[in-house]
Amino acid sequence: MSEINDPAIVGHQTPRIDGEDKLTGRATYTTDWQVTGMLHGYPVPATIAHGTLEALELDEARAMPGVVDILHHRHFPELQRSPNSMKHGDQVSEVRLPFEDERIYYHGQYIALVVAETFDQARAAALCVRARYRREHDVRPGLLSGDAEGETVDDYSRGDPDIAFASAPVIHDATYTIAPESHVPLEPHVTLAEWHGSEPRLIVHESTQGIFYERNALARIFDLPAERVEVISHYIGSGFGNKLFMWPHAVATAAAARLLGRPVKTVLPRQQDMMSTGQRPASRQRIRLAADPDGRLMAIHHDSTSETSLVDRHVDACGGATPSAYACDNVATRQRLLAVNHGTPCPMRAPGEVSGIFALESAIDELALELDMDPLALRLRNYADHDPQRDLPWSSKQLDVCLKGAAERFGWAARDPRIGAMRKGDEIIGYGMASATWFAGRQPCEARVEIRADGSLLAACGTQDIGTGTYTIVAQAVAELTGVPVASIDVRLGETSLPAGPLSGGSMTTATALPAVAAATRDALDALQEIAVGPGGHFAGHDRASLEVKEGALVAKGQRAGFAEILARHRLGSVSGKGSAAPGGERRQYSFRSFGAHFVEVRWDPGISRLRVARVVSSIDVGRAVNPLAARNQVEGAIAMGIGMGLLERLEYDPRDARLINANLADYRVPVHADMPDVDVELLDYPDFRFNEFGARGIGEIGLTGIAPAIANAVHHATGKRVRDLPITIETLLDSPLIMT
Amino acid sequence: MKPFAFSRADSLETAVEYRQAEPNSAFVAGGTTLLDLTKLDVMRPSRVIDINALPLEGIERLGDDRLRIGALVTNAELARHPAVREDYPLLARAILAGASTQVRNMATTAGNIMQRTRCPYFRDVAAACNKRQPGSGCDAIGGINRMHAVLGGSEACVAVHPSDMCVALAAIGTTLTLHGPQGEREIDFADFHRLPGTTPHLEHMLGDDELIVAITLDPPLRPLGTAYLKLRDRASYEFALASAGAMLSLDDGMIGEARLALGGVATRPWRCHEAEALLVGRRAEEAAFTQAADAALAEAQPLSHNAFKVVLARQAIVRALRDAREGHP
Amino acid sequence: MQMSLSPPDATLTVRLILNGEPVTLEVPPQAILLDVLRDQLHLGGTKKGCDHGQCGACTVHVDGRAVNACLRLAAMCEGQAITTIEGLAEKGQLHPVQEAFLVHDAYQCGYCSPGQIMSAVALLEDPEAATDDAAVRDAMSGNLCRCGAYRNIQAAIADARRHLESNAQQQGRQP
Repeated sequence: MSEINDPAIVGHQTPRIDGEDKLTGRATYTTDWQVTGMLHGYPVPATIAHGTLEALELDEARAMPGVVDILHHRHFPELQRSPNSMKHGDQVSEVRLPFEDERIYYHGQYIALVVAETFDQARAAALCVRARYRREHDVRPGLLSGDAEGETVDDYSRGDPDIAFASAPVIHDATYTIAPESHVPLEPHVTLAEWHGSEPRLIVHESTQGIFYERNALARIFDLPAERVEVISHYIGSGFGNKLFMWPHAVATAAAARLLGRPVKTVLPRQQDMMSTGQRPASRQRIRLAADPDGRLMAIHHDSTSETSLVDRHVDACGGATPSAYACDNVATRQRLLAVNHGTPCPMRAPGEVSGIFALESAIDELALELDMDPLALRLRNYADHDPQRDLPWSSKQLDVCLKGAAERFGWAARDPRIGAMRKGDEIIGYGMASATWFAGRQPCEARVEIRADGSLLAACGTQDIGTGTYTIVAQAVAELTGVPVASIDVRLGETSLPAGPLSGGSMTTATALPAVAAATRDALDALQEIAVGPGGHFAGHDRASLEVKEGALVAKGQRAGFAEILARHRLGSVSGKGSAAPGGERRQYSFRSFGAHFVEVRWDPGISRLRVARVVSSIDVGRAVNPLAARNQVEGAIAMGIGMGLLERLEYDPRDARLINANLADYRVPVHADMPDVDVELLDYPDFRFNEFGARGIGEIGLTGIAPAIANAVHHATGKRVRDLPITIETLLDSPLIMT
Repeated sequence: MKPFAFSRADSLETAVEYRQAEPNSAFVAGGTTLLDLTKLDVMRPSRVIDINALPLEGIERLGDDRLRIGALVTNAELARHPAVREDYPLLARAILAGASTQVRNMATTAGNIMQRTRCPYFRDVAAACNKRQPGSGCDAIGGINRMHAVLGGSEACVAVHPSDMCVALAAIGTTLTLHGPQGEREIDFADFHRLPGTTPHLEHMLGDDELIVAITLDPPLRPLGTAYLKLRDRASYEFALASAGAMLSLDDGMIGEARLALGGVATRPWRCHEAEALLVGRRAEEAAFTQAADAALAEAQPLSHNAFKVVLARQAIVRALRDAREGHP
Repeated sequence: MQMSLSPPDATLTVRLILNGEPVTLEVPPQAILLDVLRDQLHLGGTKKGCDHGQCGACTVHVDGRAVNACLRLAAMCEGQAITTIEGLAEKGQLHPVQEAFLVHDAYQCGYCSPGQIMSAVALLEDPEAATDDAAVRDAMSGNLCRCGAYRNIQAAIADARRHLESNAQQQGRQP
């Protein structure tokens, strides 16, 4: 594998190539798409969480202006379920088809889809649909409303933790919980479906992180060859995991469009979006740590339970990062799953691990206090300089550099560890820190690159840009290899007619797509070189290997021919190259993970119980950041989301009936501008060429890991109150030792 | 949102006539409450009467040093008006602590007074709510009631009046001018909002065919120390968990006049007369502030999830009084 | 005066100035300004994020003030001047706030950006608005960015302010 060692464009701050379209309102998100003859769908949500739908009264709704049809369980085509396989690329978020039976499994489950000429008419009619239910009272409320543990779905162990615990001089044992959280991407879920032709083709515009998964699933559900389904997603109003896999609204909308012979667009209203398209499930985790008096970890037990729904199984694997987090011989993790009457959960940014790291990094802080050690020193003492889970060397691990560098910039050494010792005016200052980590993965990927007659290039890949900046890094990669400026490179993403690309998930897109784009670029250059050295070419008779690529031209022995000149001489419109890339044998030689460190300062005003995050200093190592401008933005945004997770965000289900009562953006509180602290994010630059030629791992998720525990640890330092339940709301602090009432 | 008719009223008389002709109609000024709740099907007007063309703008100082504010003055205009910033800083601060820039640009003075509760069960037509549907019960009392009232609640309703502006109006002393078929009448702001009692659907004293045309603030206290402190989960754009508006006039450290009102904890804008009485004549010190806070919360009745609001409200009072003292010229 | 109550299904005629051009609309009484802009006038730049005034993605200017287009009836806009994100750039030249957003990477997915920009422009054009960082953060808090690009948005606003002030000074010096 070639290495891009001294890049001119990759690794340099590059404004987004799609920026002007986004900032002028020209970028067409799925919610913005309109086609001729389009109808509007508006789902009707169940108002109970557990029971049976006995009857729907539709006469009033049908009589409303503009109503074309109302789909429901007695008026819906026979469809097939998707096999729901990750491996075969047809995974869906909820395998149950819409209106499949009359059971109600969660509040907000669709019981009908009203289709009308305008959005306004569809909503008005939806409000006139009357449902009669048979409520059942043995509702299964959320995990945190009871003490049920659920069934074990996964476990891991090495060594013998129980023996270690029996002899350990220092033991920490505590339970941590995290409330369910909503992704709330600002563009809600939306589907625009249209059918064409007598041998039908289905075209779907969807705000999705995975066009190919949706295409494959729709093909299975509607029993079509995959090539007759096209999914398009050019601009996505973010996802955070919420839009990885298709939800039932898309199936209902496509079915309505086929039934009615007209395009149908369904934009989920925010309330329904929050009820029925997934959330980070609630979790409860027990962490047990055993250590010797010098702080060497002797054993770790990490037992987790997360929620799933009654219609699908989503496992939020909280213990995923624990086995490789610290040098410790005896580690056991166990994952349980509890089915409840809530909507089906789904992955949310750093799924599982971000929850597990909250528990683990809080527990490490508590252990440090018990040992009277600096929490930073305790982490360094147990530093895993190879992967203890797989017993392999890390491809590149700079966690120590992150920890020490961020501590230095933060001023950790000036910390007075006594609780409440650091004050300014009415406020007590608390310092806390935690490590961050996220696995580095790659998927197979294909790409196409064209060199065009005007000297511009086109790069195409069937992945998506969910706001992370994929359009721009693809252009950067092509620019790096061709010397053509980024401004002259068109990038097409988000269509299943393009070469198959990856999900925008798992922080894998950069490492997955760029090697394929590079291969396609080289293939296109190869095609150009073949022409240039051929009969009548600018370099006729030259050895192809002697040609260099410089600034959009081929160069050899002082002679230079621009891409456009070469194509023009041969009357060619373009040459095209294909490329593919996939992870290889390196997985057997190395473990690949990214690491980082967060240091947080909180301000606690005990006179008014006000807690704010004032400052965050982070160092993150993701190998090479292809576009540091957008990469740093990812980490800063993750810090904002981490403040939400730490202090604000909680979906509130009424435990009496499992109904969700805060499905809106006023009562479900995400951070606003005024919550944003001063942040100082450093991205290290240690290219990981064992991973790919660009040296890049992913950056979308790692920034979120470690923020919430760093906040909780700082809160303890400021208040003396150890909060093990997220979010840390005001009322959890009122019994802190320093409160003034 | 179900279809409704729309009419523009070009005079107070027509506005009232529209209402009389169609009892299920609703006035719209800013629209921030009406359209929000109409989309949720909580409000179902048959006709929306746009009153924005009525001559209810303007802020003028009256001969008796009171300040008259037109019903249609937006929250943003009111907060930035020199007379308000100069003489009623509590009002300006309370307004700016509420909602967002956009909402303050839309919402009007009368609309703010008329805004509805944020109780999630009120806003969900599938839930039981005596305020929305008399006699249906209250899902909040046995449900998730973290955001609900600890003062002024009843067995029928514990929904909070969400306004920040009204906290200031209560503390300042305000008269509302209402217009109806018989012409104008005045009502003390303190008497305008009703306690829920057994009839939480009756929220105020405005007649069905009346509208608020102006509010008039009592003469300003001078010299004045003032503070509005709003405690909430996030740092902005959120309703209060507890807020306190305080005004103090001091003479050599002794409290001459004191005004205190609470938001976020009560079923209506909540003036704390007993606490005020305890403050008058006392030295402006923590001991007095704490006693005032105790008095203000003496009748508090917390629910299963909101006992912390009693603590928070006490803290808000003590700190607001201290800040008012510190801000005194 | 005789009152004439229009029936609920009557279409209303609304005349307004949209991005500097006079426009006459036929809308149903309950039509929301946001839906009219997007569905009827095909101005998709103004986004719908919550439809209840809780996210700010739909921020437009009505007579120069930032408002939530989702909480406004189109019928209430008679005679008003409405500016959307599409009306901000002049002659293809990005507005200084748009330019600053580009340079500072003040967005990720971009869905909230039109609303953020409209709020920022109104804030910068408001001579009475406080200019310190805390005041700007508070004034912008009606615009959620779930991607959390807040720091870059604030940097972009500060940069645009410097740019606009220096432009104003230069214009002031010219005769």
